[in-house]
Amino acid sequence: MDTLPLKTFALRAALAGATLLAAAPAFAGEITIWCWDPNFNVAVMREAGARYTKAHPETTFNIVDFAKADVEQKLQTGLASGTTNALPDIVLIEDYGAQKFLQSFPDAFAPMTGKVDYSGFAPYKVELMTLEGKTYGMPFDSGVTGLFYRRDYLEQAGFKPADLENITWDRYIEIGKAVEAKTGKKMTTQELNNGGMTRIMMQSAGKWYFNADGELDVTGNAALKGALEAQAKMVKAGIVKPATGWNDYVNAFTSGDVASVVTGVWITGTIKAQTAQAGKWGVAPTPRLDMAGSTNASNLGGSSWYVIESSKEKDEAISFLAEIYGKDVEFYQKILADRGAVGSLTAARSGAVYQQADAFFGGEQVWQRFSDWLAKVPPVTYGIFTNELDNAVTANMQALIAGKPADEVLKDIEAQAQTQIQ
Amino acid sequence: MSRSVFSDRHSARLFGAIRYGLLLLAAFLSVFPFFWMLIGATNITADINTGKVTPGSALFDNIRAFVAQVDVPLVLWNSAKIAILGTAVTILVSSIAGYGFEMFRSKLRDRIYTVILLTLMVPFAAIMIPLFMMMAKAGLIDTHLAIVLPTLASVFIIFYFRQASKAFPAELRDAAKIDGLKEWQIFLFIYVPVMRSTYAAAFVIVFMTSWNNYLWPLIVLQSNGTKTITLVVSSLASAYYPDYGVVMVGTVLATLPTLFVFFAMQRQFVQGMLGSVK
Amino acid sequence: MANVMAQNRRGGLKRYYDVNGWLFIAPALLLIGIFLIYPIISSLTLSVYSGRGMMMKFAGFGNLVRIYNDPIFWKALTNTFTFFIIQVPIMIVLALVIANALNNPKLRFSGLLRTAIFLPCVSSLVAYSILFKSMFSVDGIVNRTLIGLGLMDQPLNWLTDPFWAKVVVITAITWRWTGYNMIFYLAALQNIDRSIDEAARIDGVPSWGRFFYLTVPMLKPVILFTTITSTIGTLQLFDEVYSLTEGTGGPSNATLTLSLYIYNLTFRFMPNFGYAATISYVIVVLVALLSFLQFYAVRERR
Repeated sequence: MDTLPLKTFALRAALAGATLLAAAPAFAGEITIWCWDPNFNVAVMREAGARYTKAHPETTFNIVDFAKADVEQKLQTGLASGTTNALPDIVLIEDYGAQKFLQSFPDAFAPMTGKVDYSGFAPYKVELMTLEGKTYGMPFDSGVTGLFYRRDYLEQAGFKPADLENITWDRYIEIGKAVEAKTGKKMTTQELNNGGMTRIMMQSAGKWYFNADGELDVTGNAALKGALEAQAKMVKAGIVKPATGWNDYVNAFTSGDVASVVTGVWITGTIKAQTAQAGKWGVAPTPRLDMAGSTNASNLGGSSWYVIESSKEKDEAISFLAEIYGKDVEFYQKILADRGAVGSLTAARSGAVYQQADAFFGGEQVWQRFSDWLAKVPPVTYGIFTNELDNAVTANMQALIAGKPADEVLKDIEAQAQTQIQ
Repeated sequence: MSRSVFSDRHSARLFGAIRYGLLLLAAFLSVFPFFWMLIGATNITADINTGKVTPGSALFDNIRAFVAQVDVPLVLWNSAKIAILGTAVTILVSSIAGYGFEMFRSKLRDRIYTVILLTLMVPFAAIMIPLFMMMAKAGLIDTHLAIVLPTLASVFIIFYFRQASKAFPAELRDAAKIDGLKEWQIFLFIYVPVMRSTYAAAFVIVFMTSWNNYLWPLIVLQSNGTKTITLVVSSLASAYYPDYGVVMVGTVLATLPTLFVFFAMQRQFVQGMLGSVK
Repeated sequence: MANVMAQNRRGGLKRYYDVNGWLFIAPALLLIGIFLIYPIISSLTLSVYSGRGMMMKFAGFGNLVRIYNDPIFWKALTNTFTFFIIQVPIMIVLALVIANALNNPKLRFSGLLRTAIFLPCVSSLVAYSILFKSMFSVDGIVNRTLIGLGLMDQPLNWLTDPFWAKVVVITAITWRWTGYNMIFYLAALQNIDRSIDEAARIDGVPSWGRFFYLTVPMLKPVILFTTITSTIGTLQLFDEVYSLTEGTGGPSNATLTLSLYIYNLTFRFMPNFGYAATISYVIVVLVALLSFLQFYAVRERR
């Protein structure tokens, strides 16, 4: 029996298989970037890369998009493995998670103090990326919030745009009841498994789950209590259409099922994608809590770019960020016009696009308004356990709606949180 | 007597009706989501969200948008490469081991086998980080080899082949030995052909798992050029404003190959399952 | 059988036999050693450490103490067991009943029906999560159908109600895996000698009686096999809850499973790899115990 041809065949097949599978990429001089939404920050980064390449043709960009949760997961795995070839050169991190990454992976990110003029950015953005006197990362988009509403529905219920200016949540609920009575539409939608609304309300009063020293601040936190009570009141008043997840949530206001939504400015692009609803929308300031210290401005989400310390392209990556995101005012006009991305570079607000009136929103100077509110967002310390606290809060939300007193619910939240944040 | 025959026939007919009813309901519920996925691929996002069950006219727009965003041939090629090569090697390595454990029994090897079976109980999340560190040290991050390597020796498939080997006729082995065949020749030229349908069933199972694998490829792959179809569809679905019509086109495309493999091999698959459960 | 042969030819043949035995399993052992055993051991060593990210300190039994005091852990454990105790029996019984109904030579379209019922397990996690989430949304097709049939007056918030969210998860797992288990039973049923069943039928044993007293006992080994694999699968349940709840295990942690909690401790929360590793060994111990009990229960009655 002649076995030789068979053996060589097997060997060849194995070799072919191995080379097929081991095809590895990566060239020199290439900046690899991880981010998430193909229509938002991925597109923004492409624009930034294109601008930089004009002046520095030798630099190429490799922009990779994953789902947001996946970016975080990959980053965490890569950092935990302690190997540098597993990481990109630049990564986008949502602001809530910034301190978590900076503190649990010390020396993993490149400090950029001295290389970037941070005085030109919104102070709350700079603060959340500063640790022990050093500032890491490049502030990117702001999550300044606003009240997006359907002009047509509110008009039908007898409200003028001026009636929505600088209101409290209590007033919002009253308006909501009237809107439902007249139009049959719910006032708003909410993802009950998500802590976003709590965060918006709490930050409007300059408070967070933690105090400035990073200590848990729950049972004595009047803003948190107010936020929880306001949400329970909204649900009990029947003005909320519950959403089972993000898609359901977005669908509720893009389909015209609800009359308004309070969320971050980054949703603008999504709303404007509904071209049939042009002229029917308006924006107003975020409602405030009925308590001293609460303002009509807040924040939800927002994210920033970070350079990995061990990256081979570290210096190039930093100079790229500093050159485009750090001072290119034109760039900020372009991404605002194309993608609805509100950057946090103060100088960008003097640009032409920020002044434009938007017919989609009935001729309002939407961007100008958002940048006015941006300046009023109370800075808070997000700390390192926001996800844990979000989880504790949403887990106890049902009990609150069912009628448990707010003080007791806060105690439960604190008890749950305490075991989670060691 | 005649009465009892009548009632027996009567109840048999009733049972037959119930049987059909049950099976039809089960089949309908099983297939419905697939049907809905196909319908979804022809609709726009707003219609999908409101549960429209009739075909729309957006199919070509959705396909166009999908093709514009995704390098379709590349991601399909990546997925196919991983699934086909990975499955072939997995089945080879694991069937050899399953055969070996059953045909050459010894106390020590049986103990080793028990230990191996116990590893089935360890959740993947527990070994993910050490495994990743290993791949990173070996410089295999962002290669398809890193995805395939940990799956090559599948404990479940070793178990499956060992069970199936119990049904392999000993006479065949004895006869082959008398003919002077070496052990590896017996395996390759006698066992493999005889166990064709067992191999087919294993192929279906391993191919499905490999094609649909999500968590591990997600962690290992780093660049657009290496991504699989599953990863691409998942990232499309998680945009701030996902276009669900396009996502549905993606899910159809991600599901078709597994359906095709199953349909192509379904007769051998069911036959192959016979061996494993004796 | 093979070991009988071994006993017959001791001496020189024994060595030949042994060498071959090792050679055949060597590639698999090597791969398993590197890619399974080694990571398992290194994650075991992780479980005596605790800390934030890379800032880990030796903790000894600290993680076990933390588990004991961690209400979320107990919640996840309770949920995991609820899924296991309710879902596995439902699925096994359903799979058995369907397999039995399909196993009739006179049944028309049996191939088609079998294929249809098996189909769900070929769907990928990604496709399936997208489909189920939109089907069970407030305006989704499930609510519309139930209202249309007059079974409900107003839409149910499936995924935001702690009870119904569990129901959706159980439905989803059952949908995906019943057909898979059914194939094993069907294969086993076709191996069973039909003459016994036929004899019992002629003796006037009704079909339910034949099912319970003949078919089920003969399928015992397969039932044991599928029960153990389903136990492993359910106690490690991750895919379904992760995708249906966008990773939160909500509402109110009602669908949080142990595996999802491990995932959150590793990736979503402040990373604590040591604590996460400790919890994963809780799953290992549980699965081992339950598999042992299931084996024991079956052995006992023989």
